[in-house]
Amino acid sequence: MTVGRLTQPRQHEITQLLAKWSDGNQSALDELYPLVYDELHRLARRYMSRERKGHTLQTTALINEAYVRLVDQKNVHWANRSHFFAISAQIMRRILIDHARRHAYAKRGGGAQQVSLEEVAAITPDPGRELVRLDEALKSLAEMDPRRSQVVEMRYFGGLNNEEIAGVLKISENTVTRDWNMARAWLYQQLSETAAN
Amino acid sequence: MNRERWQQISRIFKSAISLDPEARNAYVAGQCGSDESLRAEVEKLLASHEQASEEHFIGGMAAEAVAPLLVDENEVGPPHRTFSNGQQFGSYVILDPLGAGGMGEVYLARDTRLDRTVALKILPPDISTDKRRMQRFRQEAKVASSLNQPNILTVYEFGEVNDLTFLATEFVDGETLRDHLRGNKKLKLTEILDINIQVLAALDAAHEANIVHRDIKPENVMIRRRDHVVKVLDFGLAKVTEKRHTTVKNEDSEAATAFKTAPGIIMGTINYMSPEQAQAAEIDERTDIWSTGVMIYEMVSGLLPFKGATDSHTIVQILEKDPVPLTNFTQRKVPGELQRIVAKSLSKSPDERYQTAKDMLIDLRALKRKLDAEAEIERTSSPTTPIPAVGTPEVRREPNKVRVLVIALIGMVLFTAAIFGVNSWRASRTRQNNPAATPAAPVAQRTLTYWITVQKYKDGKPYQEPFTLAGEINFEQSYQIRVNVQSAQAGYLYVLNEGPESGQPEYVLAFPSVTTNNNSPFLPAGQAIQIPEKTWLQFDNEQGVEKLWLVFSQDAVPELETARQYARPQTKNLITDAGQNKILQSFLTTHSTTKPELEKGETLTTLRSAGKLLVYAIRLEHH
Repeated sequence: MTVGRLTQPRQHEITQLLAKWSDGNQSALDELYPLVYDELHRLARRYMSRERKGHTLQTTALINEAYVRLVDQKNVHWANRSHFFAISAQIMRRILIDHARRHAYAKRGGGAQQVSLEEVAAITPDPGRELVRLDEALKSLAEMDPRRSQVVEMRYFGGLNNEEIAGVLKISENTVTRDWNMARAWLYQQLSETAAN
Repeated sequence: MNRERWQQISRIFKSAISLDPEARNAYVAGQCGSDESLRAEVEKLLASHEQASEEHFIGGMAAEAVAPLLVDENEVGPPHRTFSNGQQFGSYVILDPLGAGGMGEVYLARDTRLDRTVALKILPPDISTDKRRMQRFRQEAKVASSLNQPNILTVYEFGEVNDLTFLATEFVDGETLRDHLRGNKKLKLTEILDINIQVLAALDAAHEANIVHRDIKPENVMIRRRDHVVKVLDFGLAKVTEKRHTTVKNEDSEAATAFKTAPGIIMGTINYMSPEQAQAAEIDERTDIWSTGVMIYEMVSGLLPFKGATDSHTIVQILEKDPVPLTNFTQRKVPGELQRIVAKSLSKSPDERYQTAKDMLIDLRALKRKLDAEAEIERTSSPTTPIPAVGTPEVRREPNKVRVLVIALIGMVLFTAAIFGVNSWRASRTRQNNPAATPAAPVAQRTLTYWITVQKYKDGKPYQEPFTLAGEINFEQSYQIRVNVQSAQAGYLYVLNEGPESGQPEYVLAFPSVTTNNNSPFLPAGQAIQIPEKTWLQFDNEQGVEKLWLVFSQDAVPELETARQYARPQTKNLITDAGQNKILQSFLTTHSTTKPELEKGETLTTLRSAGKLLVYAIRLEHH
């Protein structure tokens, strides 16, 4: 490892993989995934350590930066950008869930502590655990309805707007809105049910 | 649930949510027939839909919720940490990470030969490869250090370990001026003067020895905890990084790499750059005078004097714009003398600035003495009444992060052109601004088309499909609206909302915002945008006429650029500073006297205005 130097992006390779993937080659995604994962993860952490005080993280901005860094701008079709965003949404989901899981686990790992009633009431919902549950519900949704689950993934994890989602999925914006409504209602229902249990 | 059932439910759900509650129940009942469980499922889902939209369930973004977790609690130190505590580095033992940045990693370390604690800065390898420049850097830093000036950080050693160049310096237990500014919302004027007097003392000594710092900024100034002595860091180091700028200039592909390896460096320094640095022209010690002026301006007002939407805009501001005088800010009373000193240090031409750090230091010192004396008189003459606090709203010093990110993104694309093509770019810009230069250029005109999308609500629920209209109707309070704007020319758009309240208006910045157009006011020609992009505008309880001011300009509007730094998501983009609201009010009144030509179609309204600026208020009456 070198000091301070960012990992050299394999621009050309990534651009080609992206092109292959948009042409329907699914195995390209397997190769693309770890490369983008590393970059997004690194960027996210860099932003967060720099901005520790405010804790805001603009996913879209982050993915945009990853895009500019990873993809060779000269040899890429503009349409690839939305594909890149789509897979980045998927990867952002993985990154955030990985962290949320670890975080939730670390909390539990502290052992069963005695807490008084008052304290229990004062505990605020752990955003990490909430996210893990959402992820699980989203997986069940994907089994029944992969497209609606993708809409949620792109919007909530990837920060894409409806127009961009419509572009990637090749559906109308109205359909995106309807998909979102349905998926959100169902997820909400799932989460309130698991919370009650 | 199986797929088939799901499809069935979703089909009914989809149509049902577009209906009002009564029709909805009938529709669901009709569709489900005798299938009671299907009906129950659909109804449950519809109820969840209402709940979910009311609670804004997953309305934000996942990253906002858990981003803090990305920095694991059990991880120590900065992100690019290469060495762990206790590790040997040459004759040093690493004790603790102190920080990291574009200029490398800094550790607290122990020099095992002399048994003393040092700050060990390990430079990134791509900086240290140019031997000639490194040699020069060593020389300059050594000379600066040998001046033994108490405000210059002492350098103990330069060296190389495994091809990594390091720099061992005196360890200052304290914080950088940047952190100090973050932690203290509003520094006293006397403290600001005191800090800068020390910075100038350091510069004065260095300039005497013909060393220019080149990168004066709050990150390079340390304040020692125990006695508040100021230390200026990194003399000569900026010279080494200029090399990267040069590569950007020469070779496109290399430019990309250079930029990608060090975005922080370039972006971090641009706001403090002097005009001659921004133009990559010859520089001398007067560039440090400029940067000190920027720093004082920032410390007094909480705002950077030159800060555009992108790096290239910032550069144009540096080259052309006179910053808003410090005396115009209302959050504190700024002596006219301080404004004079800052304005002089920020003269575009180096010949008009203070010629030496000593001259500037003398003026600051005299001002400080005067303020101290005044405070003393005030204290002794009215012992019972405390000195009144000046101004009301506090300036938030925390930089707007989102903006920083956005600037980063847009800046990337424009960066190369910005720094090095600035001259030619300016030339072309001048041609654009001056129709006489290019005879074929059309007379400046602004054209903006707008329409309004309305979502009706009934009993707290969306009612009917949204519809669009060209202009102004009487809105019901429960309606939610979106304004759509399309610009015929490229330009800068600002949209401000002014409520019906009488008295001094307070403005809400509706565009740009963090969620709309990535917080950039710039629109390319022909671009249509929704304001807001993802949500809707809601009317509040105050009835009457709301104004939505559209300001569309060929160039960025300085008044609005400054004002929009006060609009923050935390206050729903309300501009809280009274002085800024006054400035905006006067700007809008002055410029709305010439009304644009109006063309109302069935669904669109087109506004045309001769000249570079169009100002128009859409009136939204609601009751």
